[in-house]
Amino acid sequence: MNVLEQAKKTEFLGREFLLWLWFRSETEGGVIDTPELGAVEFAIEGKVVLQSEGDEGVETVTCSGERPALREARYALTRQKQVVQAMIKLAAGDERWSFLLDSCWFNVKGYKGPKVVMDRNDDPDGLFFEKVLLLERCARALDALFEYFVLLRISPEWEAEERPAISAWIEAGA
Amino acid sequence: MGFIQGSASFTRYWVEGAVPREIMESLPQRVGRYAFRPFADDSDQEKSMGWVNIMDLFDNVMGGLDYLKEPYLALSLRLDVRRVPASALKQFCREAEEKVKAAEEIAFLPRERRIEIRESVKRSLLHRSIPRANVYDMVWRLTDGMVFFGAVNAALCDDFAALFYQTFGLTLQAVYPYALAARILEREKRSLGALDALTPCLFTGGRQPSD
Repeated sequence: MNVLEQAKKTEFLGREFLLWLWFRSETEGGVIDTPELGAVEFAIEGKVVLQSEGDEGVETVTCSGERPALREARYALTRQKQVVQAMIKLAAGDERWSFLLDSCWFNVKGYKGPKVVMDRNDDPDGLFFEKVLLLERCARALDALFEYFVLLRISPEWEAEERPAISAWIEAGA
Repeated sequence: MGFIQGSASFTRYWVEGAVPREIMESLPQRVGRYAFRPFADDSDQEKSMGWVNIMDLFDNVMGGLDYLKEPYLALSLRLDVRRVPASALKQFCREAEEKVKAAEEIAFLPRERRIEIRESVKRSLLHRSIPRANVYDMVWRLTDGMVFFGAVNAALCDDFAALFYQTFGLTLQAVYPYALAARILEREKRSLGALDALTPCLFTGGRQPSD
C-alpha cells in the first residue's frame, strides 16, 4: 500500500482525534497533562468542517463563528457527519496558538503563534530562532495530545468508557 | 507567507534515515546547484523554482552558510510563475493572424501556420509578463529529521519533496495520523498490531462510517 492509500484508509484516526478533542474540550475543560510540556489546554473554536459520504456523494458542512455555529456542527454529528477540519486553540505555559488542522494529512492552515517583539533588521537570527522554537512547541503540544489520544484509542478504556461518553455527548447535541 | 512573519500554513515531514556526513560537508555545492534562478531573457519557461535565503527572497547566493542555523537548516523555496491570460493570448493571436493574412493577401491560414503564430505570440507575451514570486519556508531540524514546509497544496508539496531529494539525496516521509501513531507506539516499544487492528468507530446509530 502506498502512502496516499494508507493515509486515506486510516484517515478515520485524524477524524476521531478531532472529534475527541472537541468532546474533551466541551465536557472536561480541555486540559491534558503531558510529560514534556505539563498541562496543555485546548479548545475547538471558530470553525468546524464536517463531511459525510453517501450514495449521492460527499456532503460537506462548514460551521464558522462562535457558539451558535458550533451548535449546528454538533447537530451535524448526529447526522453521521465526521469532523475533517477544526480550528484548534492550544495553550501551554504562557504560550497560545491557534490553527486549522486537517484530519487526513495533519496539515496546518492559518497558524498563529505568540507575538514576538523583535526587530527583524536588528537581530534576524534571533527572530528566526524565537519563531521556530514557538512553532516547534506548538507541534510538540499537538503531538502530545495526539499521543494521549492514540494510547487511549488502543486501550480497553476506549470501548468501555470513552466511546460511550462521546456517543452520549453527540446524542445530546441533537 | 512564512514562519517568520504573519500566519502560516505548513506540512510536516520526517527525513528518512540518518543524514550522511558527506551531505553536510557538501551543503554549499548542493544548495548552490539548486538555488533559485530568475528567468533567462530568452527562456520560454513558465515556472522557475529553487532555494533562497529564508530571511531574504532576493538572496539566492546564500554565502557563508547562512542557512545553517544550528540545529536547523533553513531555506525558502522560491517559485516564480509567469502566465499569459488565455483571453489576452486569443486576442493577440487574432490580431497577428489578421496582419499575416493582410500582408500576404490571403483569406485563410492553414492550421500549422496558425499554430506557429500562436507559439510565437505566446512566447512574446510570456517574455513581457511580470513573474509572480512566492516563497515557502522550509525548516529542517537536523537532530531528529523533522521538516516543516510552509505550504499545504498537494502539487506544491510534491514539487518540494522532489527538490529536497534532488538537493540532498534524502527522501521525505509525510507526517500523517497513522505514521505519527506508529512512531509513538515504536517509541513506547509497543506493537503496531493494536494500531493496525483499529477500524473506524461508530458513535451514533446508523451505518458504519466509510473507511
